[in-house]
Amino acid sequence: MRWPLLFCSLVLAAGVAFTRGASSAPPATAPRTLDDYRHFRIASIDLLGRMPTRGEVATFERADFDFDRWIEGHLQGPAYVERLTRIYMDLLRLEPNLNFSPAPAQLFRHEVLQDDGKSVYVYYRQNQRRAEPSIDGEFCFAPDETGVVIRPNAPSVGATPKALPKKLLEARTVLVHPWWLYRDYRSPHPLQRFGESWKDPDPQYRPVETLLNEADGKPTIAVHVCREEAQTQDLGHVHTSGRLKNAPADEKLPGGRSKPPPIDKPFALQHKGEPISCDTRSALENSIDCGCGVGLERCIPNDGNGATNAFYFPNKMPLGPGQPLDLVKQRAERWYPYWWSREAVHFLDDLFEKDRDFRQILVGRQSFVNGPLAQFYKTMQRTSCCGPETAFGMNEELAPLFEPQNVPIDLMPHDVETWRMVPDRGPRAAGILTTPMFLQKYATARARGAVLYNAFLCKSFAAENAQLTPSTEPNLMKRPGCQTCHATLEPLAAYFARIEPSSTVFLPATNFPAVSAACRKDKSGKLNGNCNALYDVAFADDKGATLRSAYGSIAHADAAATGAGQDITKMPEFAECAVQRVASSFLGRPTNADDAPLLTALDKEFVASGFRMKTLVRGIIRSSEYRKANNMTSAPAADAGAK
Amino acid sequence: MGIALLAAGCAARPVERVVGTPAGALVARETIDQDTTPKAELRMVPPEVYMRTYLQLFGGLLPDAAQQKARGAEGNNLFDTWDDYVSSLGFPDYRLDIPRQTQTNALMVAAFERLGIALCDRAAERDLAMLGKAGGPKATALPVQERVIFAFDPAPGAMDEAQFATRFDVLHRTFLGYPAALAPKERAPRYLALYRDIAATHAKTLPKSKLTPDQAAWAAVCYGLVRHPEFHLY
Repeated sequence: MRWPLLFCSLVLAAGVAFTRGASSAPPATAPRTLDDYRHFRIASIDLLGRMPTRGEVATFERADFDFDRWIEGHLQGPAYVERLTRIYMDLLRLEPNLNFSPAPAQLFRHEVLQDDGKSVYVYYRQNQRRAEPSIDGEFCFAPDETGVVIRPNAPSVGATPKALPKKLLEARTVLVHPWWLYRDYRSPHPLQRFGESWKDPDPQYRPVETLLNEADGKPTIAVHVCREEAQTQDLGHVHTSGRLKNAPADEKLPGGRSKPPPIDKPFALQHKGEPISCDTRSALENSIDCGCGVGLERCIPNDGNGATNAFYFPNKMPLGPGQPLDLVKQRAERWYPYWWSREAVHFLDDLFEKDRDFRQILVGRQSFVNGPLAQFYKTMQRTSCCGPETAFGMNEELAPLFEPQNVPIDLMPHDVETWRMVPDRGPRAAGILTTPMFLQKYATARARGAVLYNAFLCKSFAAENAQLTPSTEPNLMKRPGCQTCHATLEPLAAYFARIEPSSTVFLPATNFPAVSAACRKDKSGKLNGNCNALYDVAFADDKGATLRSAYGSIAHADAAATGAGQDITKMPEFAECAVQRVASSFLGRPTNADDAPLLTALDKEFVASGFRMKTLVRGIIRSSEYRKANNMTSAPAADAGAK
Repeated sequence: MGIALLAAGCAARPVERVVGTPAGALVARETIDQDTTPKAELRMVPPEVYMRTYLQLFGGLLPDAAQQKARGAEGNNLFDTWDDYVSSLGFPDYRLDIPRQTQTNALMVAAFERLGIALCDRAAERDLAMLGKAGGPKATALPVQERVIFAFDPAPGAMDEAQFATRFDVLHRTFLGYPAALAPKERAPRYLALYRDIAATHAKTLPKSKLTPDQAAWAAVCYGLVRHPEFHLY
């Protein structure tokens, strides 16, 4: 049961209880001390998520009130789940202040003039390869045809737009019923349009009005899409244009374009004509027959020519998405990060609601997806890859952290309120550590290692009081002044060496050995080819190089995030830290030496129970320390200023 | 000449000396025991709990509906928007890595003040409609069991201490979670004094208020409890 529903039912229950109390003979009451009332109040705050109502206080006063039973009942409730999730969200802060905008996934649009004098929006991708040199890598109409030079993320240049002949518009564009507009966009003849025949979209699915209407304000029935972007096949082919060098600076550019058409990249020359997955970054850069898929489902729309709006969703929802405080037009590049955060919350909620082994937080392979996340994991996440990785034979993600085939197939991109558990994301999944939210929030291997150390082992890095002297030692585990922290941090960071920074792209050992003989220092001391992007020149010689962030521990780099989860959860400090975090939160103060007997007892019970949080919380709430943790003393203090 | 006078003045100024007092010269005036009791920060009710409780006291409304109701139609600015209060109440902002506030500050106290007044005034209008102005919505008075805050009937005539105590106990349980009888002995009389003072002042000065003296007096008692430290701490 989610919060709003529960909230209403609790209020209703409170009202009923009060009504009963008011209309019938008062039930037998038990004498309660002020401490009893305060214990009940703090337990209500922790397990109900709010202060007790009068009706609940009256129930508590009854002689037959069973506090243990009351605690058990509320350990099953959503308020308990939210309380525990809050502890770890406060620690990890898994909400995005970031964008996700890989070029192959972003559909922009430009308004063009038709020869009947009306304007129409045409959707396109930046850098889309096309056969015609005048429009290759650009909008699908050349400046000579539209009268303006279209610039990404900037106003177009040119005062007098030209009208496009109808035939040219029809030749270069295709009318598509896109996913954001049609519930049944996969049907050959979609009919269920948002706001019309599609009657019951999820209330939280709200495209911005500008995606629903044409420039003249009339409802959009279908969208014009550049022909290349409208293609639907999964596989394309590597295309070469025959251009190997940039045109001379004084040469007139075709179609009035402002920059020369792209030249063939080494990858294209090497793989000419070979099949290529359309879900990849290299497909956008190297093929002309890869588009956005059926109903444009591999792309997300922008309502303009740059980072513009796509959907409404809240910025502020302190009590959860069911009780938002606002609803704001948001940029397309924020759509998936918003859902990544919700995925993390669902993951944690499930852990506490089902009372799973708490070690799952770092080793669990399960997760939760809704429609947008299903779309993301099936296609969008793959568009982050691959650039320099292609030089190592990885043209598309070979070993994703979330295997696309494990995504539920029946979730539509609009199913924002339907959450499904995915029992197994794949062999590289490691609890919260391999979720996009964690990996983007903690963008570098060191940041990931540090948060692991702090949040799950309750340890922090404190620099020694040493003077830092100039040093050329690249190994921070040895460099004076740095080694105190980095001797611990670098091996932790190494667990994340195979997950690229600010990304979820996994570098498998088959193509990216932790120490690669294929990457070597040349005579000038630089790494050859594309090695510099992925291997560390500071840990290279003429025989090989070490994968970035792996030098702290090659074994950890090969164990990857799953190894981190397993190693950390085996440490006794993991359970001790969980006990300390939760106890401190429920006691409302940092734990101290006087709490050692309590913490030891709780830790023993927690581990014996198989790392079950309910056992831990039950133990805390029934403890005398919790009862005494109340701010108020047992004797009522005189009110301030009393005479 | 001026320069000469200035120079003379500066030269004439005696050298400033600070003379310390030898430690042995200090005389003990009083001997007290060292305070060895554990010291901990006061524990604030988490903002999520405060907000849920507030919404429940508003009749179990969702934030939007509570905001609309608190703002009312007459535009007396009792309540701005949740958006204006949410950061003041101490919520964390994970996106910006702003942690939750665990201690009060001036803005937080001002937000509590404003929210408390809006809650009590609206509840007084709703629950105590029978005490409202002539021609007001007296007919809409709710049955006692449907009143979330002022769940009692007004006293017939002038209210004595006993009559006040039973009604105050309802409010005390609502906000502080325990019977008024367990509170400091001076609490109920002080609140009765407040009640009488506000009712008398309100009747005398006839301020431009929607509330009658009795409604205003009960609202003031409510202000006192909704701003009480025991309400905000746990």
